[in-house]
Amino acid sequence: MIKNKTYNRKKIVTVFFLCMFAFLGLMGRLLYLMVADSAYYTEKAKELHERERSIKAARGRIIDTNGTVIADNKTVCTISVIHSQIKEPDKIVGILSRELELSEEYVRKRVEKYSSIERIKSNVDKETGDAIRAYNLAGVKVDEDYKRYYPYGSLASKVLGFTGGDNQGIIGLEVKYEEYLKGQEGTILTVTDAKGVEIDKAGEERVEPVPGNDLYISLDMNIQSYATQLAKQVMETKEADRVSIIVMNPQNGEIMAMVDVPEFDLNNPYELPKTMDTGNLTQEQTQEILNGIWRNGCINDTYEPGSTFKIITAAAGLEEGVVTVNDQFHCPGYIMVEDRRIRCHKIAGHGSENFVQATMNSCNPVFITVGLRLGVDNYYKYFTRFGLLKKTGIDLPGEAGTIMHKKEDMKAVELATVSFGQSFQITPIQLATTVSGIINGGNRVTPHLGVMVADREGTQMKSFSYPVTKNVVSEETSATMRMILEQVVESGSGKNGYVEGARVGGKTATSQTLPRGSGKYIASFLGFAPADNPKVLALAIIHNPQGVYYGGQTAAPVVRQLFENILPYLGEMDYN
Amino acid sequence: MAGRNVGRKRGGQQETFFDYTLLFIVLFLLGFGLVMLYSTSSYEASMEMGDSAYYLKKQVASTVLGLIVMMVIANIPYHFWERFAFLGYVVSVVLILLVLTPLGIEANGARRWINVFGISLQPAEVAKLAMILFLASLVCKMGRSIRTPKGFMIMLAAPLPICAEVYLVTKNLSSAIIIFGIAVLMVFVSSPDYKKFILIGLAGIAVCALAVYLIVNAADSDSLSFRGGRILAWLDPEAYADGKGFQTLQALYAIGSGGIWGKGLGQSMQKLGFLPEAQNDMIFSIICEELGLFGATAVMLLFLLLIWRFMVIANNASDLFGAMLVVGVMGHIAIQVILNIAVVTNTIPNTGISLPFISYGGSSVLFLLAEMGLVLSVGRGIKLKDL
Repeated sequence: MIKNKTYNRKKIVTVFFLCMFAFLGLMGRLLYLMVADSAYYTEKAKELHERERSIKAARGRIIDTNGTVIADNKTVCTISVIHSQIKEPDKIVGILSRELELSEEYVRKRVEKYSSIERIKSNVDKETGDAIRAYNLAGVKVDEDYKRYYPYGSLASKVLGFTGGDNQGIIGLEVKYEEYLKGQEGTILTVTDAKGVEIDKAGEERVEPVPGNDLYISLDMNIQSYATQLAKQVMETKEADRVSIIVMNPQNGEIMAMVDVPEFDLNNPYELPKTMDTGNLTQEQTQEILNGIWRNGCINDTYEPGSTFKIITAAAGLEEGVVTVNDQFHCPGYIMVEDRRIRCHKIAGHGSENFVQATMNSCNPVFITVGLRLGVDNYYKYFTRFGLLKKTGIDLPGEAGTIMHKKEDMKAVELATVSFGQSFQITPIQLATTVSGIINGGNRVTPHLGVMVADREGTQMKSFSYPVTKNVVSEETSATMRMILEQVVESGSGKNGYVEGARVGGKTATSQTLPRGSGKYIASFLGFAPADNPKVLALAIIHNPQGVYYGGQTAAPVVRQLFENILPYLGEMDYN
Repeated sequence: MAGRNVGRKRGGQQETFFDYTLLFIVLFLLGFGLVMLYSTSSYEASMEMGDSAYYLKKQVASTVLGLIVMMVIANIPYHFWERFAFLGYVVSVVLILLVLTPLGIEANGARRWINVFGISLQPAEVAKLAMILFLASLVCKMGRSIRTPKGFMIMLAAPLPICAEVYLVTKNLSSAIIIFGIAVLMVFVSSPDYKKFILIGLAGIAVCALAVYLIVNAADSDSLSFRGGRILAWLDPEAYADGKGFQTLQALYAIGSGGIWGKGLGQSMQKLGFLPEAQNDMIFSIICEELGLFGATAVMLLFLLLIWRFMVIANNASDLFGAMLVVGVMGHIAIQVILNIAVVTNTIPNTGISLPFISYGGSSVLFLLAEMGLVLSVGRGIKLKDL
């Protein structure tokens, strides 16, 4: 028998120590993994084990200048069943079909279906959802959700806009202020095994959603409501295609009302008019029609402003000094520009008149004369300085730009037509904004709705400021313009805009739509009050009125009625 | 400790020794292993087999059988087995070849088992035991000639045919490595030389480093083999999270999420189908997840205690054959434990090595217990007066 030798023993001890060192090394490795790296791997493992369900965040509300909520959220419920957790299928079928007013057959099919989770009905009223929850049925899940709700229905629909299925803004303020309104989605984390089966004992972990912030806007729903009413009325009586009304504060650019009838129901924005034959429309056609319905004529479309634009020509002429209020003119009923004979709307001519009278008469030859005196360079200079070549920058999506002659293409005839508001196109909001700048002392303001963003408790989070370009005209020219335009309403072509007890300035316009000779007109009136220190400016545009189509007869009364109602409300009526 | 293991007097004057410490450690590991196996496998077993104790029952059966075998072997003087040394070697060679015959069983995409009278058996496990027996006997036969270069070469060459066979026939690199590792350790103990082994060790490290270097440089070409991919996944498991690195990454999630105190027994998430082979090669990571660094270290200390007992028995064995047998078993268990833990902690590239006494596997536990029987038998040969 061979005995164990000393070196054998030594080597065995060596092997033991080698093993021990290996073990110590591995323990070190474990220490590193399980202490230093523990947080990292725990997080990773958690991500792997948890299934995420998102919880919609309540969207911020939209609140008007009086604090009235005009876009809100309604809690709705989604009722679903989880097949594996159902204990009393018959009872569930009975209760759900009764509460949700669904056929038993329909509910039974879903209750008996082998699926992880089956939706029975969504957008269920909260009361119904609560009632179902109160039954405490195993396997029935009632998930709460938010749905956008507009208490005023179609009021200011084109301004507010609406939201889509994921509560995201689609048009209007809803999309413009998406980042403030949308909030942050929350999640429900459910622990599952590798196949996605929920592990009961682990329970749920919730990451609460962060609600969106409230948007405070300058819109006044009282004015909006009244303006809409007037617009609807005139659209009906004049059988017009469309009526737009903008009411804004000319001093700071805040929009008080923006109407573009026909409006649409914000709570049901995808509904087509009932009169329309929707039988064989393709999806594309339907979408096109909807886009038309959602279009905000006040900012998305341009038109030929016509005589209201004489305000701009007058301001440019006075500012440049090519005309004064006392300048005498003679209107024979037409004017020759190069070889063209451009007629005045009064074929017999206005005869002898000074500049103020010419404006009151809305005399085309006089304004052509002023335009020609300015010349292309100067006219273009003022056109640019007044901000007409740029968009107004209103906080609504899809603002259209100005369509204007290129300076190098502008000859005397083009200059002459532009001088009385033809042969180019601007948006209604552009006209209202430009005139605001001229009558408010020369400050080109940015029209806007958004005032501030605040949290649910009303704590201000952000207040918006908008650029103002100072001195586009002098204070003196501005005052002169206010005086002239007050005369227009007092005893000129805009006398239908006169409001008893108030000082109103304004200008009418009647323009033929393109192509000429179509017999379609746009009647409009731009008024502001009080004339000496304008606090409110309103522009009413009636598209294709039937019968009498003159702006002075159709649009001016609309603004008058509006002012009659809102001036006392705004505290700007002088009863003395 | 050993002092307490004094056997009762038997008839005469001579006091015999029985290593109850070793027996207790083994029993404890087995019991602990069954608890962990049940914890790890019950969810999957109830989902897949409809019986949460499916794996547990099979393992208990193997364990009971193994304990009987162990006690039988422990009571047979170990020299009895010396005559079967060569036969064992031959039987191993034949059994491994049987894998290729219709007796072979394929499972999990590998053909590593054979069917013997309705029981599946992994020939590589037989080969490990046979190799220990064969080399122990060879060392004794060679005597002093083991010091000559020729003797040294014979000792190292002896296991190579079986290693090659295990690797080529059953595509089981890890078992081949373990068998070769056992052989190297036994040769190391039997030879008085150190230098050669240091050189072999350094050469081995150099070869591994070179291989890794070549594979990493060839990473862009798509000619990479099965094992090449494993090396890359080892270096950056997250980059191969959907493929070769998946299991390793899942094991790391389990280990890392255990933290210091663990999630508690039965609370593992990774065993719920996330970690493949959780009850086999990856069981240690579930131990880490459920029992934390504390539990994992305790398990490792138990294994270290076990190896320490092997050392004590080997050093006090009454003859070289007994000592070499114990050294072989010691090498076997030490190598498997170290490699297993190294794999689950991603210290070395992923290769399938089970954790002795704890991982699920009937053949493994059966032959490990047979080896324990041998060690206990060697322990019995120790004369107390020699201690």
